[in-house]
Amino acid sequence: MTTARPDIAPAEPWAFPIPRETLLDNGIRLLTYDIPGQYVVSVRVAVPTPLTAEPRQLEGIATIMARLLDEGTARHTPEEFAELLERKGIGLGAGMTESAVIAELDVAARHLGDALDLLRQMLAEPAFPEAEVRRAVATRKAEIEQERASAPHRAGREFVATFYDSAERASRPTGGRVDTVAAITRDDVVAFHAAHIGPRGSTVVVAGDFTGLDVPALVEETLGAWSVPDQAPAAAPVRARRAVDAARVVAVDRPGSVQSEFAIGWSGPDRHTDLGWAAYQVLSFVIGGSPTARVDAVLREDKGYTYGIRSAFRPRRVGGTFVTSGSVRTEVTVDALRLLLDILDRTREGFTVEEVRDGVDFISKTAPGRYATADAVAGEAATLALDGLPLDFTTTNLQRMAELTPEDLHAAVNAVVTGEWTVVVVGDATAWLDGIRDLDRGEVTVVPN
Amino acid sequence: MPLDYPIHDRRLPNGLRVIVSPDHSVPNVTVNLWVGVGSRHEEPGRTGFAHLFEHLMFQGSRNVASGEHFAALMAQGGRLNATTWFDRTNYFETVPKGAMDLALWLEADRHGHLLDAVNQENLDNQRDVVKEEKRQRYDNAPYGTALIEVYAAVFPDGHPYHHPTIGSMADLDAASVDDVHAFFQRYYGPNNSVLTLCGDVSPEDGFAAVERYFGDLAASAETPRGPGPQLPPLASPVRVDVTGEVPNDRLHLAFRLPVDPTPDFVAAGFALDILGGLSTSRLTRRLVREEQVAHHVDAHAMGFIDGSSLGLITLDVADGQDADVIEARAMEELERFAESGPTAVEMEAVMAQAERAWLSALAGQEERADLISHATLLHDDPGFINTYLDRLAAVTPEQVTEVARAWLRPANRATVAFLRAQEVAA
Repeated sequence: MTTARPDIAPAEPWAFPIPRETLLDNGIRLLTYDIPGQYVVSVRVAVPTPLTAEPRQLEGIATIMARLLDEGTARHTPEEFAELLERKGIGLGAGMTESAVIAELDVAARHLGDALDLLRQMLAEPAFPEAEVRRAVATRKAEIEQERASAPHRAGREFVATFYDSAERASRPTGGRVDTVAAITRDDVVAFHAAHIGPRGSTVVVAGDFTGLDVPALVEETLGAWSVPDQAPAAAPVRARRAVDAARVVAVDRPGSVQSEFAIGWSGPDRHTDLGWAAYQVLSFVIGGSPTARVDAVLREDKGYTYGIRSAFRPRRVGGTFVTSGSVRTEVTVDALRLLLDILDRTREGFTVEEVRDGVDFISKTAPGRYATADAVAGEAATLALDGLPLDFTTTNLQRMAELTPEDLHAAVNAVVTGEWTVVVVGDATAWLDGIRDLDRGEVTVVPN
Repeated sequence: MPLDYPIHDRRLPNGLRVIVSPDHSVPNVTVNLWVGVGSRHEEPGRTGFAHLFEHLMFQGSRNVASGEHFAALMAQGGRLNATTWFDRTNYFETVPKGAMDLALWLEADRHGHLLDAVNQENLDNQRDVVKEEKRQRYDNAPYGTALIEVYAAVFPDGHPYHHPTIGSMADLDAASVDDVHAFFQRYYGPNNSVLTLCGDVSPEDGFAAVERYFGDLAASAETPRGPGPQLPPLASPVRVDVTGEVPNDRLHLAFRLPVDPTPDFVAAGFALDILGGLSTSRLTRRLVREEQVAHHVDAHAMGFIDGSSLGLITLDVADGQDADVIEARAMEELERFAESGPTAVEMEAVMAQAERAWLSALAGQEERADLISHATLLHDDPGFINTYLDRLAAVTPEQVTEVARAWLRPANRATVAFLRAQEVAA
């Protein structure tokens, strides 16, 4: 090729959009983002509902309740409701996170009014038919078996069980376990919905091309009519405590497994951290966010042990984790774990100017594209609202990121990484158990799959 | 609704088809390249090669060091990857518009001059990586090999779709540096590729930039063979049982379908949605909601160009239920549908859901660019993204019924059943 490598023209300044904000009479905080060219309108309703509100013996009930919201209402049977959604091309569903029930709606703009009315019905007057409750419970029990069979899911479940104090809700699966899910009745679901789901404190985000639409009026006519007079406020979020013996190794034995799945982690911050969330986003990228990051530069590109291993800081409402996860072939399990722990431990020694620059550039310059669709904007806005962060956080965080130095990253990583790790390995333990004990990274326990 | 995404179409003298679709809403440009080679072109004993080759495209070229393609673009805010499938290989990145020239320069270097950098060490490393990809996604995942079994059951031995894109471990082991050279020389070249620019760029600037970096590449690719004749539906059921440690029994019911793009393929998509793809679909209504003997039903059509497409219905059998009984009930629904065809409400629901899905797919530049490249390379139809919904709207209930009668009868199915081991022993 005769053409020389081209120069780069500087990127234009960018900011996450600022919404129009309205407080409805029933307590809903409404955020609207008019984004020309986004013909599918995305709606999120975030209802703060801490997972810790679940009764211990009925864990999973929030998930079951959320999944049942669109299975019939006071006015429509489950099949009628499903048909109303599909004839208008409405995508609608709800799920549970650590801190909220989140309903998601996607619809072509001209059907937004109809869709919002169905969304109101689903939240305000779900019927929870007995047969649907039984089906949701059976489906969740089958899903638990599916998760047990999936190595990444199995590793994740063992990680939280080992890392968190067993008294913490965070130490157990969000969707509950077989025994707790099996105990859930229709009356329980009705009671949980009545006690926790209401408009006050909830945030509604609407994003899309609003040409020809009066979105605040449409929301006022529909979700604005949702009323729960005796709604109790959601409990404030609290930090989940780490187990006193979290720094140890758990082997989940799956004889015959051709790969070993790792989940390696320790504490991390939430987005409110004084050191700035931006530093942890850059750390995630530099340590394990790409094929050229520290982890895959060795494990994938040098050794060929893996298709890819990722490290990421995962914020919770209060506190968080720093988790490295991925799989390697069984024969190299011990060497791969040794290399991984070495890379993770050595993050405390610091980062180069080039690493900081690469991470800052990637995250900040990808932002316009990452937030280009109505769906992405709505998702980010709902996250900010639930986290209690200002609506310009995405932008100010990037401004703070641009100022980061190697010293900042050094301080940020040393504020959380101590050299202690919760290590979970899912695979054929007979092939590597002795080798992992020899690494001397804490007590090694073997549990069945 | 009428769609009018702009489409500007030009072919360079060396054969490179270039599409520019300006969209100034975000200061980014997506560069999306489709090469007319996929696993359907692979020779016996070299399955998995097209995909392994795709990995080598990231390991350096004449002026680019190993790994530099990823690093250089990510440092400029590029999001990038590549994938391989039966009919094609695609390479794509979305970059701030000021880095569009860098992206084109990097792509031209590897699409024109890869072989300067290919060596045994790179090949061995990426062979290991691809084998880990196979273990992770197929061998170490429950039901991971289901589609591999489906392809082998539906398509005859020697057919281009009989073997999976991931290939076999033995064939991956057999791949040599000489194979890499032969494959590149045969299939890679501007005359077997489509390049789409979608984003904040004018047609004039876009065409000029592509010309600048790709203009002097030679039209080096051989003329690829055309597609084979349409396969008829299976004449009698095919059955494959796989027993193992799976959480629940799962049935895959697979069908040959008319090739894409044909009106019959579009109609087959309607039929599969109505049978199992909607939450109000017939199989979901009966087996999941009413009888509660299945946990989940899915159905969709996969469009291919070389003699057949594929229809797939998946049924997750509820605990304690008999997979054979559930399959028989599903067959009753297929027969009933072939006899009576769709209702007006079913047609309305398919159309409404397809419209939202299509508008969502087009909402971001990345996927829009990929859909433009797809339609241009495989169907010579760059404006397809604007006309697809009109094609859907033109489908009649009679067409859906005819397609169901011809292609989606119980006799036309291949059943791949993943069964829990203990049930077989009982």
